[in-house]
Amino acid sequence: MLKDITIGQYFPGKSFMHRLDPRMKLLLTVLYVVSLFLVPDFWGFLVIGAVIALVVASSGVSLKVVFRGLKPLMFIIIFTAFFNILYGGGEPLFPNISWLAWIKTEGVRNALFMIIRIILLIMGTSYLTYTTSPVMLTDAMERIFRPLKVLHFPVHELAMMMTIALRFIPTLIDETDKIINAQKARGADFETGNIIRRAKALIPILIPLLISAFRRAEELADAMECRCYQGGEGRTRYKVYSFSWRDWAALGIMLLAMATIILFMIF
Amino acid sequence: MSKIIEVSQLNFSYPVDEGMAPAHALHDVSLEIEEGEFVAILGHNGCGKSTLAKHFNGILKADSGRVTVLGLDASDEKNITEIRRNVGMVFQNPDNQLIATVVDEDVAFALENLGVPYDEMVKRVDEALEMVDMTRYRHHAPHRLSGGQKQRIAIAGILAMAPKCIVLDEPTAMLDPKGRREVMKTITRLNRERGITVILITHYMDEAVQADRVVVMGEGEVILDGTPKEVFQNVGLLHSLSLDVPQTAELMFALRQEDIKVPIAVLTEEDCIAELEKLLGGVTHDQN
Ligand SMILES: Nc1ncnc2c1ncn2[C@@H]1O[C@H](COP(=O)(O)OP(=O)(O)OP(=O)(O)O)[C@@H](O)[C@H]1O
Ligand SMILES: [Mg+2]
Repeated sequence: MLKDITIGQYFPGKSFMHRLDPRMKLLLTVLYVVSLFLVPDFWGFLVIGAVIALVVASSGVSLKVVFRGLKPLMFIIIFTAFFNILYGGGEPLFPNISWLAWIKTEGVRNALFMIIRIILLIMGTSYLTYTTSPVMLTDAMERIFRPLKVLHFPVHELAMMMTIALRFIPTLIDETDKIINAQKARGADFETGNIIRRAKALIPILIPLLISAFRRAEELADAMECRCYQGGEGRTRYKVYSFSWRDWAALGIMLLAMATIILFMIF
Repeated sequence: MSKIIEVSQLNFSYPVDEGMAPAHALHDVSLEIEEGEFVAILGHNGCGKSTLAKHFNGILKADSGRVTVLGLDASDEKNITEIRRNVGMVFQNPDNQLIATVVDEDVAFALENLGVPYDEMVKRVDEALEMVDMTRYRHHAPHRLSGGQKQRIAIAGILAMAPKCIVLDEPTAMLDPKGRREVMKTITRLNRERGITVILITHYMDEAVQADRVVVMGEGEVILDGTPKEVFQNVGLLHSLSLDVPQTAELMFALRQEDIKVPIAVLTEEDCIAELEKLLGGVTHDQN
């Protein structure tokens, strides 16, 4: 039952987006988000919209997936919209209906602006994770942040921790399933009762899981030592990334979009 | 032949809580492993097999005594990388020794740690996967593979370092019969064809008889050491150590207790059948 969780929601594939260098994808996402916040008016969204349309078309991941991901965020979106309307100025939108007087043109405009911005933000960042495996993401981050090592920031250690966590998530999920079934077979009940009762019922799952996780960690540490692991110093990498024409093309398009938006801002 | 691992007078106990008597996990163990040998280590649960194995590549440090690997002192931190590169270790649970989320990246892990240049690394990953016959799974996710396949990937991850010796700590204990056969086939092939020294810790007698040499441990000490034929003659002693003997040896032992004259250590089924035929004066041939 826990198998349905897909961390980071990655959809394996071989599309244009999938084949972009993960470092470039991270950079593009940053540029995309910055551009999005630079957008001065609704016309600017057309440019961002065009960019995201290209992304969707070249990713092989359907838009439906994004909208499914938006549903849990509906509350935040509606909340934001409501407060924007509440505090917005301008003329009343419905001058003849007295109890709707608080809805003003400026407020509605702001609310719409925010909704579009949030949706575009979620779409852009979602397509990063849809087309980049978590391991590639951590790998890319390790490479991008490598210069921070000079400041004694533990870049390699953090990346290694992430990699191991990602590697063990499926293993631990399998194990949780097994423990749940074992406890159920002993008559444990996880589905009825109030919250406190249910939380208590989780203890016989968490404790064995924790003990086993510690044992695994110990064995893993031995196994890593056996394979000469001594931290990030002097390591070479098996996976090499190189920028191809795709990366430069994608960067070109993104920079073009960004320049257009900056022009919008100035004029 | 030269010695690859020399252990002399090794003592070791795990740290215990204050006030408790230290539990001796290893007591005055002396053992020499020759290059190219296939050694099986037997012993009941908790007798110190894993503890001994972890001294072979410096995962644990001796309290007293000496461990020398390829002439290098294992207590010297300077030698540790060289020792670990030459004495690889495979553990029981394949899930807890695979580090990466893709097979070939996992095999490359040790090479990354050793700072092997990229081109060389690719070559050695290919070779290692070839040696365990897992080349076609190179892009798979390890957690989707069968137990036997995972264990072969773990072996490949060690082979990539091009070690002279592999220590396997109950590598087949968590596998189904098919996985066990795959792993045993891989191990014996590496020993016969590549001359890699193999130290196999196991609870399975049918695996132990495939070795050139069997070491039996009990309560932190080496009790028997010899060829499978020599060791499995001591059926009574092995029973007293709560160890099994191969079924064929068990049968011969039972017959001898009835004063029937058969040789003591018969380890293969063919030999056993031959002995029984001799005993029965060829009766079996007349049956049909
Ligand atoms: N990490 C540890 N801390 C404390 N004591 C330990 C530790 N690991 C093992 N021991 C103890 O040391 C002794 C030897 O254990 P070891 O794991 O070497 O036995 P083993 O022969 O490998 O057993 P098995 O067949 O169960 O794997 C046992 O008494 C065990 O309880
Ligand atoms: Mg053990």
